[in-house]
Amino acid sequence: MKKFRNLFFKEVKELLSKQLIVSLLLMMGMFYFIGQMTRKEAARAAAAQKISVFDLDKSALSAQLLTGLQTMNFKIEAVTAATAQAAVEAGRAGDTNLLVVIPEGFGESVRRMEPKVVETYSYLRNFSIIGARTSAIVKGFLEAINKVLSDDFLKARVPETTPEAIKSPIKSRDFIIIKSRMAEGSASAVTGFVTSQTVFIPVILMMIILYSSQMVISAIAMEKQNKTLETLLTVPIPRTSIVAAKMLASGFVGLLSAVIYMVGFRSYMSGFTGDMAQMPGVSQVVQKLGLTLNANALVILGASLFFAILCALAMATILGVLAEDFRSAQSLVMPMLILIMIPYFVSMFADVKTMSLPVKLFILAIPFSHPFLAMQNIYLENYRAVAFGVLYMAAFFGVMVYVAGRIFSTDKVLTMKLRWGKKKIVL
Amino acid sequence: MGVILKVEGLKKSYGAVEAVKGISFSVDEGEIFALIGPNGAGKTTTLRIVATLLTATAGTVTLMGHDLRKSPDKFRENISYLPEEAGAYRNLKGRDYLKFMANFYAEKPDEAAGFVKRAEDIAGLGERLGSKVGTYSKGMVRKLLLGRALMTRPSLAILDEPTSGLDVINSLEVREIIKRFAKEGISVLLSSHNMLEIEFLSDRVALIDKGRILDSGTAQGLKDKYQAPNLENVFRSALR
Ligand SMILES: Nc1ncnc2c1ncn2[C@@H]1O[C@H](COP(=O)(O)OP(=O)(O)OP(=O)(O)O)[C@@H](O)[C@H]1O
Ligand SMILES: [Mg+2]
Repeated sequence: MKKFRNLFFKEVKELLSKQLIVSLLLMMGMFYFIGQMTRKEAARAAAAQKISVFDLDKSALSAQLLTGLQTMNFKIEAVTAATAQAAVEAGRAGDTNLLVVIPEGFGESVRRMEPKVVETYSYLRNFSIIGARTSAIVKGFLEAINKVLSDDFLKARVPETTPEAIKSPIKSRDFIIIKSRMAEGSASAVTGFVTSQTVFIPVILMMIILYSSQMVISAIAMEKQNKTLETLLTVPIPRTSIVAAKMLASGFVGLLSAVIYMVGFRSYMSGFTGDMAQMPGVSQVVQKLGLTLNANALVILGASLFFAILCALAMATILGVLAEDFRSAQSLVMPMLILIMIPYFVSMFADVKTMSLPVKLFILAIPFSHPFLAMQNIYLENYRAVAFGVLYMAAFFGVMVYVAGRIFSTDKVLTMKLRWGKKKIVL
Repeated sequence: MGVILKVEGLKKSYGAVEAVKGISFSVDEGEIFALIGPNGAGKTTTLRIVATLLTATAGTVTLMGHDLRKSPDKFRENISYLPEEAGAYRNLKGRDYLKFMANFYAEKPDEAAGFVKRAEDIAGLGERLGSKVGTYSKGMVRKLLLGRALMTRPSLAILDEPTSGLDVINSLEVREIIKRFAKEGISVLLSSHNMLEIEFLSDRVALIDKGRILDSGTAQGLKDKYQAPNLENVFRSALR
């Protein structure tokens, strides 16, 4: 045990090189910076929008209109100018992005139900997201005007009912059913909510698996490149301990990197999804549909993740033996990457259940498919599928560890090499 | 003096290449036994088999009564191996590397400290032991590794070209150190293609070529047998 600890700490020390720590910190700083920026942007978008209004009408209706707009979170700035032309000119130098010109006789012609043209001027001051927002303001503004006007008109002409009832005579109540559970709510809102809550899981999973695989492959490749493996293999410690220490240390450092990465990523993403969680009502519907992860589900999910990581470590150990130096180690991560990308995209864009049998078997044979599918299966109460996945991964891990152990306890660890199509010339 | 290592009928093939074609020799307690021969003769292959790194295709290896196939663990406890081209962990300081290796052999912390002290004396790197191995020259690494190999006082030290990459002064020093350890009862199995070095260092030598031992004995005995002034000429005559 003491010797194992000795080995483990050396592995961790070797893997936690200055370069790794610096690059992780840089990445985190970058994410934090971008996150701060997007959050500021989002806050600005949510704040009251300022628009300039040049009111040539000055009727009761135009005044009413402006009050209506104020209640819709627009901040009105009245423009005083001689002509519309002058108002537009003045707007060029100002800081509002939208100028609305209400023509003379506007109130009068609306009363007669004769459409009158309201002119809007958008000042595109740049082409970033901020600039694009102006068009949304224009649209919202016109909708608001039309709503206020048509509601007032309907209220005056048809006082016996509400404008709402006239505009949408058909109403619907929407229900969502998942297996045995049912709740009232909008399917798209619930799907959106669940996606926003779980979008991190596949990303975390992918990161952890990739990072740990890379670590274990590098750990072995480094021993080969620095010519330390031979000495290590003659030391009185079981070969299985050497393999296990490398796998554990790599898993640990991989996990650490992934966590740091995720913290950064989360602060970056929260700029976008922060307002999603505040959506009223949806979270209650989600609760009622059982789309939250309870303790049991978390345990199952955790087991699935855990075994996926073990499988990755064992596979990477075998791949690592094929590496001759640090450079070839980089290319050996490729097969792992492919095996992770397949289930990642399948779980996002396809439904495994409706696939043809060979494709389905292929997907299920990849150990990493199971944790990706586990989430959906838990929501859909397919606990058998999740349990099967965990068992399959455990068996897969067992086989891989056996193979890795065999390789490490024979010559193969020193003589096995990938010869990329080249045949070794023997004289 | 008893036999500590016995190698009989050793063969090793890498795929189609037969690198060692039936080699037999034995090493006595406190003896320095050398394998000498040209490049590709099979010296490293033989040493790697004894060091438990490779499995022989045929033949037996016995160390202090333990069979290599049955109990490689017993071998690992009692030997130390200095590979031909070896390095140390570049991110570790020289002294930390020695500590790391000592911990595998020591039962108690003060025993490990004793090992490290001995290795430091052999390596003779002074305060450079506090800097990272990545900053060492080839010769410095070699001396660090030699210190590592001898610090535990193994029953058998297997040294593959111990002075390779060392300058004249350092080579001389290393030879003295090996001799001193052998006098203290440590058996040494080494390889070299430097005939002069072998003549100075070893008690007995085996001439090896193309995976076979051509002849073996003391340096003086071989010189007498082939009526040659030095081992180089002995080797040339033995090849005929
Ligand atoms: N991993 C390997 N795969 C295939 N052949 C090998 C391998 N290692 C050694 N050989 C072959 O075995 C033979 C003996 O090699 P070995 O390394 O034992 O020689 P050596 O006596 O140590 O030579 P040198 O003085 O150059 O170190 C050579 O022909 C070599 O090509
Ligand atoms: Mg050699």
